[in-house]
Amino acid sequence: MAGNSNIPIEVRGATKKYGKVQALAGIDLTIPAGGITAILGPNGAGKTTLINILLGLVAPSHGKAMVFGGKPGRMAARKRIGAMLQDTELPENLTVKEHLALFSAYYPDPRPVEESLALGGLEDLAGRKYNNLSGGQKRRVQFAAAVAGRPELVFLDEPTTGLDLDARQTLWQVVQGLAEEGVTIILTTHYLEEADRLADRIVVIDRGTLVADGATAEIRARVGGKKVRCLTELATENVEAYPEVRSALRTGRYLDILTSDEVSTLRSLLAQDETISDVSVSGTGLEDAFRALTGKTETGDLS
Amino acid sequence: MSLLTALSRECAAETLKLLRAPEFLIPTLAFPVLFYSIFGVMMGRGGPQAAYLLATFGVFAVMGPAMFGFGVGVAMEKDRGWLDLKRVAPMPVWVYLVSKLFGALIFASFTLAILYAVGGWLGGVELDRAVWGQLVLLHLMVTLPFALLGLTIGFLVKGNGAVAITNLIFLGLALLGGLWMPTSMFPSWFQTAGSYTPSYHAGQSALALIGMGDGAGGHLSVLGLYTAVFAILALIAWGMQKR
Repeated sequence: MAGNSNIPIEVRGATKKYGKVQALAGIDLTIPAGGITAILGPNGAGKTTLINILLGLVAPSHGKAMVFGGKPGRMAARKRIGAMLQDTELPENLTVKEHLALFSAYYPDPRPVEESLALGGLEDLAGRKYNNLSGGQKRRVQFAAAVAGRPELVFLDEPTTGLDLDARQTLWQVVQGLAEEGVTIILTTHYLEEADRLADRIVVIDRGTLVADGATAEIRARVGGKKVRCLTELATENVEAYPEVRSALRTGRYLDILTSDEVSTLRSLLAQDETISDVSVSGTGLEDAFRALTGKTETGDLS
Repeated sequence: MSLLTALSRECAAETLKLLRAPEFLIPTLAFPVLFYSIFGVMMGRGGPQAAYLLATFGVFAVMGPAMFGFGVGVAMEKDRGWLDLKRVAPMPVWVYLVSKLFGALIFASFTLAILYAVGGWLGGVELDRAVWGQLVLLHLMVTLPFALLGLTIGFLVKGNGAVAITNLIFLGLALLGGLWMPTSMFPSWFQTAGSYTPSYHAGQSALALIGMGDGAGGHLSVLGLYTAVFAILALIAWGMQKR
């Protein structure tokens, strides 16, 4: 396969086995330049393995992964990449500014440090040592370090974990701004709302395989129909047996039912359960699509 | 930016990191100076002991920054995911290692300067200027094998374990190698065990320089061999980092 150095990511039949555990069971994925792609999946789905392969930290067992038309992890690719990894801490006793100046020095055409500070919203913290920062502030330093080198491709692995709502929304704006400049962004996240807000494309991975890949609106619409939520004594299997019902899942005390015909579902529910209460009907969103695709309620930790 | 800029900033960062870590500073700087002042100067009372122990404590003084800077430093930074980020960043890994070596050398030089001053002024150690020069070069060179040993430990062991293991090996090598007191004061089995350690050969090389040993050549060759072995071990340990 001839590599095209303009295509950020091409993966063909990539698998990865750790001992007996099949982390990736054959992934095909092409991500062209530009745009924000969210990679979603439940715990242990293989998202981080995929990202680590693309970063060159892990070699695939079989298949091929290419970053900018060549082997991931080679110097030419690394010069065009920035990454914010999960579970990463920078050395404690350097200041925010020292960290960013150091990271800038690695790249051929970095941003001025002041600009990186501004992107992370860190102007007031420039002189503070890393270990005197809060968890959210540390994440922002890691984000600023990821973009300090003016990379064309940015990996954001759970970028907003530990950030409060304000900081999260600010970061979303910055990420959107980068995408508008033409930066290609790969995002994994816990928060489906985040993927919904930011991503133009969503890739869902489950048990090491790609189960859905499409524009965000398309994935959202894939479930279609309506969501009925109620408090009922009926068994989940009972409700799932209705012909128009796609899925029924317990969420706390509630039963969430995805249905293509909410009227007939409501009719059956009311007929079968006289004690039914707290009934609501809503459109479906990305979260419902995710549940329908993976049978899981949330993306969980990456692993 | 150029590789040179990256290298100089990385060296500055490594030195700052060490300077701001009192848990590193105090033992690496204070222990050799303190022990030498007691055993070499106060108990030596101007005898040959001051010169003998200056040669061996000089080895002890450079072993600390080399083994702890690399052993504990790399293990911690590996655990914290920092090493992964370095492997993703567009900077060859040797820049990181050379910078760590630079940091270790800066510290070693600093400790050696104090040690030599104590030996020269308080201990009455008198050497030709050329011998002082050779001694400092040899002592600084000894950083390399111990940095590579530390690096191997750093790659293989987790952070907290690395502190314990580095301490154990560091103190063990210092004692067995006769850096605190000549091995001739110990039983013969101890001397035999000691004669296999790199610290012993480093100490003997330094002693040969000041005319108190049995010639430097053989000991330097063994030290070179150790350096090669530790380099290979560090390379193997580095290879194991790629999952």
